[in-house]
Amino acid sequence: MLQSIRPKNRVIFAYLVIPVVLYVFSVFVPLMTAGYFSFFEWKGGPNKTFIGLENYVALMKDTIFWRSFSHNIYLVIACIIGQVGIAFVFVMMLSSNLVKLKGIHRTFGFFPSTVAAVSIGFIWTMVYDYKRGILNWVLKLIGKEDIIKVWLNESALVMLLVSIPLIWQFIGYYMVILLSATSSIDKEIIESSQIDGANGFQRAVHIVLPLIKNTLLVCITLCIAGNMKVFDHIYVMTSGGPGYDSMVMALYGYTVSFGQQNMGYGSAISLGIFVISLTVIGGGQLLVTLLSKERGEKA
Amino acid sequence: MKRKLLGVLLVLAMMTTLFVGCAKKSDGKPAATDKKEGTEDKGGDSLEYSGDLEIMHFSTSEESQGNGGSDGFRTVIANWEKANPNINLVQTVLANDDYKTQIATLAGAGDLPEVFLLQGMHTKAWAEQGLILDMTDIINDSPYNSQYDDALFYPFSAEGKIYGLPALTGGTCAVVVYDSAVWKEAGFDAFPETWDDVLKAKEFFDGKGMDTVAFGNSGKWQINSCFLSAVGDRFTGPEWTYSLIEKGGAKFTDQPFVDALKFTQEIFNSGLFNPDFNAINNEEAREYYISGDASAFIGGNWDVSYIQATLEGTDLYDTTKFAVIPQPEGATASYKTHDIGLGYAVAISSKVADDPAKLAAAIDLAYEITGPQFAEYVASNYALGGLTKVENIDLSKFDQFTQDFYNFSYVDNNPCEIYDSYISGAVWDVLNTDLQTMLNNGISPEDVAANAQKAYDENY
Amino acid sequence: MVNNKKKSGLSPASKIKNSLLYIVMNTILMVFSLSCIFPLVWMFYSSLKEKREFNADIMGLPKSPSFSNYKAIITNKDYRIFESVINSLRTTLISVILIVIFGFIVGYILSRLKFWGNRLLNLIFLMGLLIPIHSLLVPIYTVFLNTNLNNKWFTLIIPYVAFGLPIAIFLVQGFVKGIPIELEEAAAIDGSSFSRTLFGIIMPICKPILSTVAIVQVFSCWNEFSFALVLMKDRRLWTVPLAMTQFTGQFSSDYTKIMAAMLLTMLPIVVFYFAFSKQIIKGMVAGAVKG
Repeated sequence: MLQSIRPKNRVIFAYLVIPVVLYVFSVFVPLMTAGYFSFFEWKGGPNKTFIGLENYVALMKDTIFWRSFSHNIYLVIACIIGQVGIAFVFVMMLSSNLVKLKGIHRTFGFFPSTVAAVSIGFIWTMVYDYKRGILNWVLKLIGKEDIIKVWLNESALVMLLVSIPLIWQFIGYYMVILLSATSSIDKEIIESSQIDGANGFQRAVHIVLPLIKNTLLVCITLCIAGNMKVFDHIYVMTSGGPGYDSMVMALYGYTVSFGQQNMGYGSAISLGIFVISLTVIGGGQLLVTLLSKERGEKA
Repeated sequence: MKRKLLGVLLVLAMMTTLFVGCAKKSDGKPAATDKKEGTEDKGGDSLEYSGDLEIMHFSTSEESQGNGGSDGFRTVIANWEKANPNINLVQTVLANDDYKTQIATLAGAGDLPEVFLLQGMHTKAWAEQGLILDMTDIINDSPYNSQYDDALFYPFSAEGKIYGLPALTGGTCAVVVYDSAVWKEAGFDAFPETWDDVLKAKEFFDGKGMDTVAFGNSGKWQINSCFLSAVGDRFTGPEWTYSLIEKGGAKFTDQPFVDALKFTQEIFNSGLFNPDFNAINNEEAREYYISGDASAFIGGNWDVSYIQATLEGTDLYDTTKFAVIPQPEGATASYKTHDIGLGYAVAISSKVADDPAKLAAAIDLAYEITGPQFAEYVASNYALGGLTKVENIDLSKFDQFTQDFYNFSYVDNNPCEIYDSYISGAVWDVLNTDLQTMLNNGISPEDVAANAQKAYDENY
Repeated sequence: MVNNKKKSGLSPASKIKNSLLYIVMNTILMVFSLSCIFPLVWMFYSSLKEKREFNADIMGLPKSPSFSNYKAIITNKDYRIFESVINSLRTTLISVILIVIFGFIVGYILSRLKFWGNRLLNLIFLMGLLIPIHSLLVPIYTVFLNTNLNNKWFTLIIPYVAFGLPIAIFLVQGFVKGIPIELEEAAAIDGSSFSRTLFGIIMPICKPILSTVAIVQVFSCWNEFSFALVLMKDRRLWTVPLAMTQFTGQFSSDYTKIMAAMLLTMLPIVVFYFAFSKQIIKGMVAGAVKG
């Protein structure tokens, strides 16, 4: 950027100070406080016993925590493909001349993400319900009574089943974000590619994708972050059950802090989630950079 | 590179200062210093206090519809407010789940509300932390002391001191609610006393397309409170439970308790229960009973209140009867027991002691909401019992349903302890989650016991 | 998929291809859109049922629809439904405005200006996305208690803005990176100051992404529960999600009433959304930058 239009540091500082202070106060001070608590054996209340890194040692060996972590990773992968991937496909469809009622799709599609997670969980519990649920009702209707199950009590299926509502709810969310990004692409670029005879898929990958790469990266980052700390949906639908089969890290931390009143260890778990998520996001970004570089070289 | 490092250090330093500032503050001054005006008037007599008094509880108006304890609690609080116009009672009422989260947060931050409801399992930990007021003398000085049922204080005691006045109503946590009409069809005049007979009836109900017994355990606590506490007692007897509470050497891995777990696993795998027992909660399970999809239901007194309110005026209302959980084979330590007690107590935050006038008001409030006014209200309106004994309840004015349930709860059967009124949430959380897995056959009873024992050793 | 050549001269093969594609794409999108809106419809007609009717058949239409659930909620003073709607409106409105303004400023500065601490700030804001607030409720409460900032009318605005900022900043950053830098250079050559360029030139260009930020944040502020639960003791200051908890008791749950309550509390925002969806979408999709 040209030096001439760069404002003085003073100006930058003035613009940044309020948001940064506000942000540090409500995001970092609690996190640092939790970091401090995590060095104590602390059941809540004024008395704490300093135990150094013991909580973290326990965390490293905590099989439930690591199982929860693997569930988070499952959700991250399912949701990047499901949420961002499907959203991208839908956005491409919406740019096609063949699709009608575009306004309706945009309006309706975004609607689920406006609904509180509690209500979403409630609705999907009704879908999966054994006796009255929609899923089993449909199965009965089409004569597949033999595969009727107590869905949310199936250890092997429960992660898939809880990821479906998550994906469904946020497709519209990413669709809207991606739409606003594609809107900034010059229409002439897309039109010229149509004249060149590029088919829809090629157009999507070669022309649109690079142009909205930044926004797509933001979406993937948001998606990873959201799923590393996912809580409400799981809490409402299964509370992590049956047993620990759908337990996720944030819910485990919550259970330890509140259900078990083990706030020192709970704080260590929060810090653990934070560090792990940071690593995953960092790794994800590195991967994306590497991949896009490779592609760039090939081209 | 150096500059970057410096930057990181600076930010860290800044945060540390911020953070240390906060920490100092929290250590340095008691949390109550920001309390407002109007607390100056010191008087020896009670209730010269005027100003705010906080109370936090979970008797929402939704809850009080059909739940006698909540209704009584709200009624007595309203009366107390009227009688003490100088005091502005600041009530925070949250639904029970949210109440638990909120109160744990406040305890964690050392900022408990002035008056609140204490769960038995927190007594020891919070007493050790000095968060709650020692109420032993207050209870001894109570005008209603002679009427108190002393046994009810046990969950709220630690190291010989008592930390709360047991509140709300004492009700059973494990009752079999059944439709005597269909059981008669199945060939039983009353609900069987052994599980073998229940299993015999299963065929009949299968043929009718009904579940024999409805149960809901998606919340994970139900299997503990509404089943295992009673069944465990049949295998281990009360001495084992007391020994566990008093750290007298009893272990979860003791054979009788493991036998109780084994039995629980077997019976839940016998097909007696609705297949989705692990995926629905007690609220949905009791609907199976109400709608006639199940011949019986196992739950607690709260479920009975709901069933009563919902069924009133129907045929099923007239044929609904109550029974204790049948005797498991091989269990010989006790008979006809069901876990019953008062799960919450009115407790006072220790910081209130700094202000004697306010403390006097808080004590008066605690006396009244657990006192005879409450007990009489719930006895005469719902035939339920509270902390104080009510002599000569006139049962005849109640209908058969209410009379039957009164006799079930207080007359015909033997009480035993509710496990999760004691010890520590850490133990129960681990045990309950494992139990849910165990009912799916995902873990053996021995491992469940071992995990629970490990949590017990680490946390209690 | 060759829908482009020359409109008049499509070969028969591509015509078939096109109509097949037409059916497939429209069906997929239609099914998706319907699945998105069906829960709302279902909740509405279920809320007109009696509790028992619902429990017997959760899909069927109500036999004798009645608004008794709504009546019960509105007439019960304990629920404080109107007060809570006002509180939520105020909190949401102020929070979203601040998020948009701050998010725009910070996002722009971080993506365009090189200065000492830029990357650190970027990282710090990224971290904000990763805070598992449910297990941090105690520290959050402690911090607010010790600074005496809890239980005020403005209390919730602080965390809502703070936790809304990262998403806003990243979206703005991603968008600004796509704006050709020549724009600002030209403005600078014309003598426009930094602030004038920022608000007069860049902000209007960013309208699509700022609308997106606003719309996304409106709903997350409106629905937020955990901060509200922990930080707000005073019932008069409760927001909608907190007031909602009054509908569920420890041992009772009345689904049709809960659904009525959910709908009632969603009402302001649903009406807002559907009434303005055209403008909202237009805002998000308009304003393409000519490069």
